Amino acid sequence: MSYDDVEIEDMEWNGELQAYTYPCPCGDLFQITKDDLRLGEDIARCPSCSLYITVIYNAEDFADAAGKKSLEPSKQQPVAVA
Amino acid sequence: MMEEATKASSPSSSSAAAAAAAAGEEEEVWSWGAGTDGQLGTGRLADEHLPRLLSLSLPSSISLLACGGAHVIALSSGGRVFSWGRGSSGQLGHGEAATNCLTPKAVTSLEGYFIAGVSAGWSHSGFVSDTGCLFTCGDGSFGQLGHGNLESCSSPIEVSYFLSKHVDQIACGMRHSLVLLKGDPNNRVYGFGSCKRGQLGPTSNRTRSTSLPQAIQGLENIEIVSVVASGDHSAALSSGGRVYNWGRGFPGFSDVHSPIELSSLLRIKQIALGWNHALVLTDGGEALILGGNRHGVLGNLENLGLTNHRPDVSALVLERVPGLDGKKVMQIAAGAEHSALVTEDMEVMTWGWGEHGQLGLGSTCDWIEPQRVSLGHTLPDHWAKCSIYCGSGFTFVIRSRTSSGPHQDD
Repeated sequence: MSYDDVEIEDMEWNGELQAYTYPCPCGDLFQITKDDLRLGEDIARCPSCSLYITVIYNAEDFADAAGKKSLEPSKQQPVAVA
Repeated sequence: MMEEATKASSPSSSSAAAAAAAAGEEEEVWSWGAGTDGQLGTGRLADEHLPRLLSLSLPSSISLLACGGAHVIALSSGGRVFSWGRGSSGQLGHGEAATNCLTPKAVTSLEGYFIAGVSAGWSHSGFVSDTGCLFTCGDGSFGQLGHGNLESCSSPIEVSYFLSKHVDQIACGMRHSLVLLKGDPNNRVYGFGSCKRGQLGPTSNRTRSTSLPQAIQGLENIEIVSVVASGDHSAALSSGGRVYNWGRGFPGFSDVHSPIELSSLLRIKQIALGWNHALVLTDGGEALILGGNRHGVLGNLENLGLTNHRPDVSALVLERVPGLDGKKVMQIAAGAEHSALVTEDMEVMTWGWGEHGQLGLGSTCDWIEPQRVSLGHTLPDHWAKCSIYCGSGFTFVIRSRTSSGPHQDD
């Protein structure tokens, strides 16, 4: 069962993990890669626990991998996890 | 189903406790739950399913702790600040964004001040001096540091907006912060950071975040005595014991973009917020919960098919925390998805989500009713004071008693 529904715009791009992330209540981060999104995957998982969230996004924004950078926030700093 | 809680916890002797005892105070610090960022202070990067007695090397007794997403801030009785756990966004205030810090380290840049209040958010931190200065550090991506930009910083920086004001309290949530001022009877509560879910009160449409403090509208002429933030929730307590909440809606309820008074005839003395629930403690020592029936059943109520509409928050009903058998409650605390309390006889009880051992019961089970946590072999009533603190997925307890003799500090 999905813990929450989260819009892609509320997720943060993490350069180190190469994934969009969102805080997990366990302290770690829910993660989903661009490849996942490209394939139509909408589940972001936490590597530390059983929880996952459903990512709300427009599939067309990720359909063409190469030229799409509009959704990647430039100002946000990467947040690394141990 | 449950393992025996006392077996594996056999505490080693604590040097900090011994040092404190020499100074006339006996103090124990315990931790358990998610620990892979070093937030438990055990010196290890691992979860603990049972309470661990810590040997923290701190120069004096701890007056309070603030537990965040994966970091902890300890305030000493001498007004000094120590922090440990995840530091990747600079939230430890050590001057460098280290991955993590396994043992308490002083926040040296604040040593010219006597710090009187601290708060730990998901990945940012706030510090208030006894002279009313506010400092913040850590992740600033959403403006949650209040410096007027989206920069992160690894050393506490004074929030210049409040230079001419006296800050009384700071409360850090997931991506926002609340500030309570002293003195000013009208605009006492300010907020900054993410406001998409209403956590800063009324904002103009499409504003997602603000990096400069703004007064929270809707609390004018109410004497607020404390502010609380967790997840995307905000709350304030009035001197008359009334509770106001705003921000993300509790499960099944819509977001609230303006402070709403919780309808209850009871006089409330403490509020604790999780990411999807809230606890309140009445003057009479009764613990009540909002959104509590979700505990142990993590997930969207909508996905469960339990709600067809989203009623207003005014329809929220406080329910009595079950299973306490009339015992009075002294203190409450809430993690993201777990809860904890201390009873009048100094017993610690926990319930909610337990996957990381954050309930300290020796298992990873969820519990919908409070369960007694076993902390070593001393009887709970040996202690004069017992305080509980929850981070997102972990829990800390400090127990102390003062023997006669002068108290030394730092």
